[in-house]
Amino acid sequence: METYISFALAVLAAPLFPGIILKVKAFFAGKNGPPLLIKYYTLIKLLRKGSVYSTSTTFVFKLGPIVSFAAALTVLLFFPFAGQAPLLSFHGDVIVLFYIMGIGRFFTVIAALDTASPFEGMGAAREVFFSTLAEVTIFTVLILFYRMSGSLSLATYFTGENPITLMGQSGALILLVIIAMFMVLLAENSRVPVDDPATHLELTMIHEVMILDHSGPDLALIEIGAFLKLIFYAAFITQLIFPFDVLNGITRGLIFLGILSLIYVFIGITESIMARFRMDLVPKFILTSFALVFFAAILTMGVFQ
Amino acid sequence: MGCPIDTTLTIVLYDLIRRGMMDTFLLSLTVLLAGGLFALLTCKLFSLMKAGYITITAVGCMIGLYAIIGPLQGTEVTTYSISWLQIFTLSFSIDPLSAFFLIPIFAICPLAVLYSFHYMDKAEQRLRIGVNFFFLTFLIIGMALVATADNIISFALVWEIMSLSSFLLVIYDYHEKETRKADYIYFIFAQAGAMFIFASIALAYSYTGSYSFSTFAVIPANIKVIVFFLALVGFGSKAGMFPLQMWLPHAHPAAPSNISAMMSGVMIKMGIYGIIRFYAILNATELVFGEMVLTFGMVSGILGVVYALGKNDLKKLLAYSSVENIGIILIGAGIGMIGLSSGNMAMASFGFAGSLLHVLNHSIFKSLLFLGAGIVLKKTGVRQIDQLGGILKRMPKTGSAFLTGSISISGLPPFNGFVSEFLIYYGAFQGLLLDGSPFIFTMLAILSLSIIGGLAATCFTKVVGIVFLGEPRTAKAADAQEAGITITIPMTIMAVSCLVIGIFPTPFVQTAFMALKSIKPLVPVGSEEVAVLTGNLAIAARIFLAVFLFSMLLRKVLYLRKEITHNPTWGCGFTQGTTRIQYTGTSYAMSVVDFFRPFVRVKTRYSGIKRIFPRQTTYNTSVEDISEIALVDHLAIPFLYFMRKLRWIQHGHIQLYIGYIIVAIVALLLFV
Amino acid sequence: MINITELILVVTLLSVLLSLGSTRLMVLVRIMALQGVMVSLTPLFLKSHASLDSGAIIFFQIMTLIKGLLIPGLLYMAVKRVKIQREIEPFIGYHASILSGLVIIIISVFITNNLRLSLPEGHSMVLITAITTMASGFFLMMARTKAITQVIGYLMLENGIYLIGTALTDHRHTIYVVEFGVLLDLLVGVMVMGIILHNINSAFSDVDTTLLGRLKD
Repeated sequence: METYISFALAVLAAPLFPGIILKVKAFFAGKNGPPLLIKYYTLIKLLRKGSVYSTSTTFVFKLGPIVSFAAALTVLLFFPFAGQAPLLSFHGDVIVLFYIMGIGRFFTVIAALDTASPFEGMGAAREVFFSTLAEVTIFTVLILFYRMSGSLSLATYFTGENPITLMGQSGALILLVIIAMFMVLLAENSRVPVDDPATHLELTMIHEVMILDHSGPDLALIEIGAFLKLIFYAAFITQLIFPFDVLNGITRGLIFLGILSLIYVFIGITESIMARFRMDLVPKFILTSFALVFFAAILTMGVFQ
Repeated sequence: MGCPIDTTLTIVLYDLIRRGMMDTFLLSLTVLLAGGLFALLTCKLFSLMKAGYITITAVGCMIGLYAIIGPLQGTEVTTYSISWLQIFTLSFSIDPLSAFFLIPIFAICPLAVLYSFHYMDKAEQRLRIGVNFFFLTFLIIGMALVATADNIISFALVWEIMSLSSFLLVIYDYHEKETRKADYIYFIFAQAGAMFIFASIALAYSYTGSYSFSTFAVIPANIKVIVFFLALVGFGSKAGMFPLQMWLPHAHPAAPSNISAMMSGVMIKMGIYGIIRFYAILNATELVFGEMVLTFGMVSGILGVVYALGKNDLKKLLAYSSVENIGIILIGAGIGMIGLSSGNMAMASFGFAGSLLHVLNHSIFKSLLFLGAGIVLKKTGVRQIDQLGGILKRMPKTGSAFLTGSISISGLPPFNGFVSEFLIYYGAFQGLLLDGSPFIFTMLAILSLSIIGGLAATCFTKVVGIVFLGEPRTAKAADAQEAGITITIPMTIMAVSCLVIGIFPTPFVQTAFMALKSIKPLVPVGSEEVAVLTGNLAIAARIFLAVFLFSMLLRKVLYLRKEITHNPTWGCGFTQGTTRIQYTGTSYAMSVVDFFRPFVRVKTRYSGIKRIFPRQTTYNTSVEDISEIALVDHLAIPFLYFMRKLRWIQHGHIQLYIGYIIVAIVALLLFV
Repeated sequence: MINITELILVVTLLSVLLSLGSTRLMVLVRIMALQGVMVSLTPLFLKSHASLDSGAIIFFQIMTLIKGLLIPGLLYMAVKRVKIQREIEPFIGYHASILSGLVIIIISVFITNNLRLSLPEGHSMVLITAITTMASGFFLMMARTKAITQVIGYLMLENGIYLIGTALTDHRHTIYVVEFGVLLDLLVGVMVMGIILHNINSAFSDVDTTLLGRLKD
């Protein structure tokens, strides 16, 4: 029962958290900022509208939002929120999950190319390149986790006998993983310093430019998919920080929510104090995250046991 | 008292079934041969020849598939041998490994042949088409025999049949200089590769003194390494392993597309078969074998997909993508070998099984992609990706099938490419608990797989996005029309089987595991574990599919009573857009290709903008393969230079030539 | 719980990786300061170095001051005074440098395992860090054009040597007297470099070593 509740809560609350980021950014800019529920209002507005389709597009354009939304939703089914057993889990599920995210990206990209717009093609090219690099970091994290726990499933990473947390054994390595995963989060969810979701110039965008031609409910599906993806990464990092077996029930959930919100606050702070990278420095940024984790993985060779 | 009689009866029956199996196999080959002869004899009656040939070949392949059902379920190995030229014995047998490699041969070839009904539609070329069909038969038979050859002599013989028949198939368009050149390159690589294989076999023979494969196990360990390395080079050049892949991007574009589909989908897998078979018969368990294969696999995989990204010719791109997939297959095999050496049977089983399953999967989707590319090429007459576009609207069936193939080859769930990559990943992860160099190797293998996965998705979003989506960039692309039914049916069948293997992986994975029985030192993991894993995989795929259908329904509901309008794509305020301003494949791939700069040579020619009113400017980039550059610069040119110095030997005086012969004979008599 | 020595060493290694990937001189100087502090703190937390007398405490304090404050401060001033462009100009690109750093770490792990020294517990990690730091120092000297980055590379090399000394001995601080001498040498070196750079800068317009190479004939 708790499993279902936590899953439903995560899905329903996903649009709430980006509001936190906006609030933090507004705070740094000395403004009031939009209301916390702004993303819900946006979604409702979008869902009430109709759509305009480009005459260049085919059915692939309509599949794009559906697949990216379905992929993000499927991935969350496997996630153990606050240490609750997830709806589904098996040995090897992490590989499946990141590949399911891959198919979501595949369709977002070809939907962008379907519009015949040069800008969307440009965004698509950047998206595939950067996410390929980010995927390498993620798989290095999986390698490290397998060295630590001998498991290949999200549920056993975080809820098993010997959960992987900052407080556990070889926490120094987990620190590296947290930093690297935060960098991946920024890159994969198109946040500053990799991409600026609030920019106005199409030439400098990555993710936003790919969805220029989507409108109405299609755009809403894409947005929800993006929120779900963001909450997945944020929750992943939260689980790494989360101290386990301390508390039970409601308190645990609240602590989890607290850390989760902190991560969003942290994203907001990062976005406020950092400038955007030049496009050719982005690969270096992601490679640095890879270097951190790879380095941690090497250290497990007979040193940290 | 009943027992002995029952047992005898069982043995007799069993014997009958076994012999029956081999007989069925031979029957299928005979039927195939009859089909080839039929095509040759009736080539005056064009349609009858094609229809008859397709039917007979299909029947032959069906019989062949029926014949291998037994071995795939693990019945005993059967052997068939005949004596040849009094001294040699030709021996063939079907064990589970052979049977597994026979599946793509008998399943893909008839589809590719069916495709040729509408693809080869020029009645004035009927003689050439008839001859082509005849050699096609030889290629199929050759491949089937390679997979079953059981001793040195028969292996060498049928290997050459296979190589030569494919050589003759590639040269279909013999009046074009490019084709002849490409085929010449293929011929050199095929024969040089065969030389390495023969050297390997000869070296082994010098230690065993027997033609039989089964005696290879007694070779001393250090010689085994040499034998295996020679074989790896030989088979690798057939399979398209980097740096011996050069013939693929030349021969595939030159050959007709049904031939490229068969060569890339099926024939290059014979190289993989050779590598795995030699590994099995050498009974080698040293670490160095696995590390060697794994390294070649990683390099082929990554560089293959990077070159594929850089290429602008659709069929060249697919050829390099084959190099990439061969890389994945070799990574799987390498993981298997390392697992075997370190006694980690789970790692070994999943690595080999993933590798074998990827052989099957790749044969399906790569043939599909080649067939699709071929028909696009035929209907538009354009090879360059950057001149196509908008094909999906004009050829919906072809386009959808191609899209399916692209997703599968990118290794994305819920399609078949993912299943085999998952097994390889799973095997590799098992190896992470090892220490020292095996750990580093498995770690690098996982990282390479993830890089390859990401880049393959990049590569095929490029193909689908630039070729099939958007607006046509040239008038030729705009004029494309949907292909005939015999072209779309094989492609649809392949596309559907991609999805079926993805959603119902269990029987296919189990078949792959059955084939592992032929690798002797390997003790496969229990079938329960495999069943649990594939069951879970199937559940994940189905759940994703269910969520997808749910989202589709959700979208339908959200769009109830909504206003939908159609407008041109938003041009960001730019009103004078033409289709030429679309993003091109070259620009799409360039940042990735640039990232791998030391391993890829990018040549750029840019005319520059010079005056106030500039004339037409041109910008041209081409991505070149470093192995090709290295071969030309460091091997071919010095060799030619050296050979030119020996030109004086050939001077045209016939008397002196006779003198050469006499000297040669005398020298031979003296020394032998 | 988190082992402090491990944490320090991990931070040291990280500083090595970051120094290979940093694009700005100022950032590099700051990273070197961090690395200096971490390296000089390492012996304090090693188990075999547990017993400390007051002399040792003073010694480590001076060490930390020089490595963490004095030398980076001088470098900082040099960068400011000479008005060197802020960007580091690499011979070998940043991506390749980071990957080389990782390869260096792998190789150091293998070297440490192959040496089969009978090291006290926890010291093998120190040795890995030491070899990596040294090799990366060399790498930095080789792969960057500016004179000041070469000094920084030399500094990193010295840090590595210091760590090797720490790893191979389980004595008390007396061994560090030699080390201390080297450090003073380095300090003088940095100062001299600062002065020379300043003079070169007033004589020539650039302090790029590729340009200095032309002075050879």
